[in-house]
Amino acid sequence: MSSWPADTKYISHSTARIDAPAKLTGSARYASDIQEKGWLYGMILRSKWPSAKITAVNLDKARAIPGIKAAVVARDGEFNIRYYGEEIAAVAGTSKQACLDALRAIEVTADVRHEFVVNETEGLKADSPRVWENAPNAPAPHVRENGNVDTAFADCTAVSEGFYTTPVQIHNPMETHGNTVSWTDEGVTAWASTQGITSVRDGLAGALQLDHSKVRVITEYMGGGFGAKFGPGVEGVLAAKLSKSAGAPVRLMLTRFDQALAVGNRPSSFQKIKIGASADGMLQAFEAENYGTAGIGGGADAGGGGGGADIPMPYIYKVPNTRVKQSAVAINAGSARAFRAPGHPPASYGMESAMDDLAAKLGMDPLELRLKNDPNEIRQREYKVGAEKFGWKQKYQKPGSSPGVVKTGIGCAGGAWGGSRGDRNTQGDAQINPDGSVELRLGVQDIGTGTRTVIAVIAAEMLGLKPEQITVRVGDTNFPYGPGSGGSTTCPSVSPTVFDICTKALAQLQTQTGVADARGENWFAACKKLGVTPLTVHGQWQQGLSTDHACGVQFAEVEVDTETGLVTLKKMLGVHDCGLIINQVTLESQINGGIIMGMGYALYEERVMDDLSGVVLNPNFETYKMPGMADVPEIEIVLINMPERGVIGIGEPSLVPTAGAIANAVFNAIGVRVGSLPITPAKVLAALGKVPPAVHA
Amino acid sequence: MKAFQYATAHSTTSARELVAGNGLYLAGGNDLLGLLKEYLVSADLLVNIKSLPGLNKIEHGKTFWTIGSLVTVAQIEDDEAIKKVFPGLHEASTEIASQQIRNVATVGGNLAQHSRCWYYRHRDTQCLKKNGDLCYALNGENRYHSLFTGNSCISPVVSSLATTFAALDATAIVLREGKETRMSMAELYHRAWENPLAHNSLENGDLILRVEIPTARTRSAYMQVSDKHAFDWALVSCAAAAEVEDGRLKSPRVALGSISPVPHQMEAANSFLEGKVLDEALAAQAADMILKDAKPLEHNAYKVPMAHALIRRALLKLKGDA
Repeated sequence: MSSWPADTKYISHSTARIDAPAKLTGSARYASDIQEKGWLYGMILRSKWPSAKITAVNLDKARAIPGIKAAVVARDGEFNIRYYGEEIAAVAGTSKQACLDALRAIEVTADVRHEFVVNETEGLKADSPRVWENAPNAPAPHVRENGNVDTAFADCTAVSEGFYTTPVQIHNPMETHGNTVSWTDEGVTAWASTQGITSVRDGLAGALQLDHSKVRVITEYMGGGFGAKFGPGVEGVLAAKLSKSAGAPVRLMLTRFDQALAVGNRPSSFQKIKIGASADGMLQAFEAENYGTAGIGGGADAGGGGGGADIPMPYIYKVPNTRVKQSAVAINAGSARAFRAPGHPPASYGMESAMDDLAAKLGMDPLELRLKNDPNEIRQREYKVGAEKFGWKQKYQKPGSSPGVVKTGIGCAGGAWGGSRGDRNTQGDAQINPDGSVELRLGVQDIGTGTRTVIAVIAAEMLGLKPEQITVRVGDTNFPYGPGSGGSTTCPSVSPTVFDICTKALAQLQTQTGVADARGENWFAACKKLGVTPLTVHGQWQQGLSTDHACGVQFAEVEVDTETGLVTLKKMLGVHDCGLIINQVTLESQINGGIIMGMGYALYEERVMDDLSGVVLNPNFETYKMPGMADVPEIEIVLINMPERGVIGIGEPSLVPTAGAIANAVFNAIGVRVGSLPITPAKVLAALGKVPPAVHA
Repeated sequence: MKAFQYATAHSTTSARELVAGNGLYLAGGNDLLGLLKEYLVSADLLVNIKSLPGLNKIEHGKTFWTIGSLVTVAQIEDDEAIKKVFPGLHEASTEIASQQIRNVATVGGNLAQHSRCWYYRHRDTQCLKKNGDLCYALNGENRYHSLFTGNSCISPVVSSLATTFAALDATAIVLREGKETRMSMAELYHRAWENPLAHNSLENGDLILRVEIPTARTRSAYMQVSDKHAFDWALVSCAAAAEVEDGRLKSPRVALGSISPVPHQMEAANSFLEGKVLDEALAAQAADMILKDAKPLEHNAYKVPMAHALIRRALLKLKGDA
């Protein structure tokens, strides 16, 4: 079986992103940068009603707006609208303003329904208005049971009960979703902001009834994707139809407003947890009821009803007696999609909160409770390393015992991520030119994590060159098949593939040229012997170089102002294992990003729906709040390097424990639980019992 | 947004003439462009007033200072003299929006800005403030809304400068029908207290020229709490100002923002504080008075203890090192 080199110059060291100059100078081209003269803008008309039957869409007046070159309906005939923001039609024109004017000129005839539900707790009720005609909003809960919970609780020394809720989180990558699409007689070319160029190609080909070979998808650079950017989306298909109709390429990038409505989101969770331990702190019993909403959810596939809101419970712990009931509630809101470690951040937040609440009942240090109960050896090691680094022993005080008005607190939490060893179908080519230049071509995309650099680092290591000598080409379906960037599998897919390509290329170069070792200083002489013909070598993913199941723990330190409720995050420490580190600096960058995103989940982010009108009330960054630089604390990262495990992705695991750690630090500071994310000043003051009752007029 | 004509005014007279009909003044444009883009307001003509002479100056006088309406928030923030003479005004300026916005946002625009209520700003809710039938916030998502109101709209004033100017007892000088009209901050916003459609008392064509701030109060402070640590609206803001003589408060004033359609002030509390020695207990008593008639709703009752804390802290800050 293959194995990674032990003594390395680049692998496990830090190489600055090879595309940093292109990004910093603006020469890197994103999907929305692809715009030649005469190409058109596209925009989508969305429903202003949360529930309606659309009976007619008249595009005539829109087409008459100066500059408008095409207008299409999202669906033919009569159709149902089930949430605010669902697509109705789209237009393409020579300017954004022309498109905006055209959207206002579209005449929509609709039977507006005034019965709808946008709140999952309401949606759960049997008499709530149905989102799908033929199914209740909440199908019967899924129940899993092990052992005998009821007798086990009776034998517990300490039992804690809590209610922990997490909001719907909206996908807000820096670059919104969208594509620039050109559809001519030769076929379709799409410049997509996507995590999976192949998924966009196949999706477009299917929707437009074209051969896969007639669709080319290009993603040179993209500004972030966290699970919702697979496939062309409704917007991609509409852009293609507009392009065909207008006879010109159409750039249809969603607006920030669109982004809040219809690109998927993380489901909410409402976790009622009861947990019990024996006097020695060993977990004995766990009972949970959880519901959440995935919006209109998996309803369409499942023939109605909610779907896709379950979370792993009791998460990373093994409890001998468990009963878990979960249900997903359909509501009239945009559906869920995968969102960085689906299910895990809410699961970690709920379970880790319950653990600290139980530790308080036991009078036990919550870190000790974890060390007693966490079955995973790697996390055990991470907790110990982290506690030492963080100064847990020195800093830990009993919950609520911090003196003064502004109280300090610390907390920790753990996470897991299964991931996979990579997409075993990943392929790529190397072309070695007689002048010694090297080009690697893989049909993967770099979603901002540094995939290009990872490829260059491995190739440089294997060929005895420098990373900057490697030209990396990715993000084009004309290249050999590459995986979608989801599940933290890009690095474990790509790294073994590049290993294989380079191993084979080197062997062939050496055989062909008779140079015994063509690496390093012999490289150019060997390549010269190729004469005039470049050497092109194909390689693919190989077993034994990557693995799965990453573990991480994080520690948080907060200050809480008990008079204003403001939480200030002072410090985060992330301790993560990621097997063999390929490139440390981009790895750490991903962990920084995960922690910052987790911080947003803990303290700021929340989709707010209005019960009366059914609209999303905060479709912008003014009121959908995200961490800014003033909020971000000192972040320290400790990497547990385990090269023997092979390559593991880190994108998702880095986010998972953050919210739980922060929530526990707040609990430790003020001595009462804020059982609801985001932990806003309002909720802190409420938990402290300082908020007066409402006065009803 | 709808198409509009654009003109630059070089005198207040021509500005007024140009804006008559369906025109709007354009200075920093932070609020106006958002309103236009969301079709919340429309105009046939935007009158650029940035070139009006004399309105971008901070002038130091003996009994009062004058701040022109075209002075930017960043100018206030960076003015060393203001830090010393009106520290509360400096503090308020640093909390407004982001550096980029402060660089172009003007004093006049900050005072004249519209409600940030998310129902008012939403393109698909026809709320009371937009001539609709009801205030959605009243029984809806009212976490950012008012504890006090004189009408059935509960969207609060969010101008941090207005809060601070109120505590400093500043006067806005407004050009109305060719004449200079003097308005206290209470007067500048009074109409919003009574009329759900109003954001302030300005009428079409009114132009804020400058603000006069008396120098009588040498101590001032401003504080706010937001969900985030920067670039976020205040959940509650509070400004306090006074002179302190022999440890006793003279002409004290307290004002709060984001809890009422007007800068929330209670003259009785100001009088109560007059001549007294500041301590924790006194500040708490004043806070009780100021918030006594608050009508918290389902989601904004947290503003009561938050405002209480800010009133106490802002007042105690007036003690300074003395």
